[in-house]
Amino acid sequence: MKIEGKALIMGDNVNTDMLHPSRFFSLDDRTVRSGFLQAAAGYEQVGGSDLAGRVIVAGENFGCGSSRETGAKAFVLAGVRAVVARSLARIFSRNVRNLGLAAVECPSLPDLAPDTVVEIDLVQNRLYVPEASLGLPLTPLDPFWVKVFEAGGLLPFLGLGEPISQQPRSVSLPVYQGPP
Amino acid sequence: MKPQSLTEKILRRNVAAPIVPGSDYFRIPVDLVLGHDATIALLIERFKKAGRRIWDPSRCFFAGDHFTPPSTPERADILHRYVTFMKQEAVPDDLLYRGISHQLLIEDRRCQPGMVICGADSHTVMAGALGAFACGMGSTDILALLLTGEVILSVPESIRVDFEGTLPEWLFGKDLALEIIRQLGEGGAVDRSLEYRDLTTSGIPMESRFTISNMAVEAGATNGVFVPDDALRRYLAERDGAAGPAPGFEGSWLMPDEGVAYVQHLRIDAGKLRPLVALPGDLGRIVPAEEAEPRSVQQVFIGSCAGGRIEDLAAAARVLRGRRVAPGVRLVVTPASQTVYHACLRNGIFEILSEAGAMITNSSCGACGGIDKGLIGAGEVCVSTSNRNFRGRMGSNEGLIYLASPVTAAAAAVTGKVCDPREVLEDRRMTNFHSAPWPVAQVTGGAT
Repeated sequence: MKIEGKALIMGDNVNTDMLHPSRFFSLDDRTVRSGFLQAAAGYEQVGGSDLAGRVIVAGENFGCGSSRETGAKAFVLAGVRAVVARSLARIFSRNVRNLGLAAVECPSLPDLAPDTVVEIDLVQNRLYVPEASLGLPLTPLDPFWVKVFEAGGLLPFLGLGEPISQQPRSVSLPVYQGPP
Repeated sequence: MKPQSLTEKILRRNVAAPIVPGSDYFRIPVDLVLGHDATIALLIERFKKAGRRIWDPSRCFFAGDHFTPPSTPERADILHRYVTFMKQEAVPDDLLYRGISHQLLIEDRRCQPGMVICGADSHTVMAGALGAFACGMGSTDILALLLTGEVILSVPESIRVDFEGTLPEWLFGKDLALEIIRQLGEGGAVDRSLEYRDLTTSGIPMESRFTISNMAVEAGATNGVFVPDDALRRYLAERDGAAGPAPGFEGSWLMPDEGVAYVQHLRIDAGKLRPLVALPGDLGRIVPAEEAEPRSVQQVFIGSCAGGRIEDLAAAARVLRGRRVAPGVRLVVTPASQTVYHACLRNGIFEILSEAGAMITNSSCGACGGIDKGLIGAGEVCVSTSNRNFRGRMGSNEGLIYLASPVTAAAAAVTGKVCDPREVLEDRRMTNFHSAPWPVAQVTGGAT
């Protein structure tokens, strides 16, 4: 299983309030989608743009903070294909994996240029960066998470629900400009 | 057998084979599941599609604390869906509108040592102060739990944290929690358990312990558990009275083994600490308050599951008694629960705070989650007793949040700037904040 995409680079200790501020908490997918990256300084514009097929590439402790699953859902709604970070926060990594996204750790991940194409190989447990001729080891996923990923999320793995659609969405929503 | 940490002891009791061959993850039966209006509402539609009922509604500890009372029509709708769901699934509704779920949990006879408690909120970890395994999860995990009665977890290794020395009167659980994060770093305890021991000569009050366990998640920890001791025994005896635990929720008094191989061992001498603040942005910059730039403050928030207990409000009242909040500063006080609220009504704390100029709100999450009643605007500075100072957390992305103890926050309200609270304590004889005359743990019996 290989996942290829253009990287969206983020830093260390990016928390869930930055990824998805609570003012976008909603049961409406459009509102949830429009909150993506809206408190991450410098990422507000890109958060509102078409992110279908992108791979988030981040530093240490990515996704720390709140358990609000709207944050993880926003990744799915934005069409993000996968998350690779030097390390992942616990609740967040569970949330995105439970929704069927691949979230993997690459402790030796170097700094990459924006939009670098990366390829995650979940069978060989490698991260490839073709233009830098790099092949880096991924921390192998626990067999439980491999099964969850193959099933398309936690609920399908447990026979309790359908996978959430991962069809890339090409809708581009306006950037939130503050409360009316 | 290999010596076990307290978390291993609690989690491995009822564990059989791994969920899939070769995995470190197990199905673990859960004693109590915490939920609230916001995150439970996220799972209702998927729950209905599963076509099943909650495995045991009596084990659902569901509060209404985020959108209570609602401040927008959409939030009213979310709350209404949640309350309707509770009714349909016969979930007990005795906790609705009574305060913040995490505070209600530690006030309640259903919450006992040795339990496995999972909640649809990251600050569920607070119940670890009662010697329970308590951890937060997202809505999909909680949905699976509601349908099956189990969660799928790996058993974390533990970091041992010993508190030693004597607590100065102005040192609180918040300072100790910040010191742990300062030493470990924001992600320093990811996928680990923090196992705390109170070895201080003065003892750490239960209310401060709650704040310490509450902020375990800010170091990334799965859970943060205090090793049970006499202080816990006294707390439970006072809380539960002669009736003891709620029937069916007896829990068990478990202790870690001798000779556990902890992955790390912190020793914190409370007597050597100074009041700390977390500088705005994240928990990566924690410094003594006296070394922080004395920036002007527009709001002080005393509230949340990390800083809205009687101990916190009493400490603020001691600083503010006979004083006024500095001109131009909003002091927002949000008691963590109605039990806290009622105690502060009875014992005069509200009178002191109100006379000093505080705005006192109903018990809810309020400003902490950027929900309502105390949001900050661009360029505004807030000193808060809550647990997160992230960008955009309490309103504008351009607002700045400092985290501090209740005395440090109250001192900022008096002086109008970020400061060391000892500056405003010098001119008055301060007795120990943690003791009489105000009752610190005057909680009612909880569920009957």
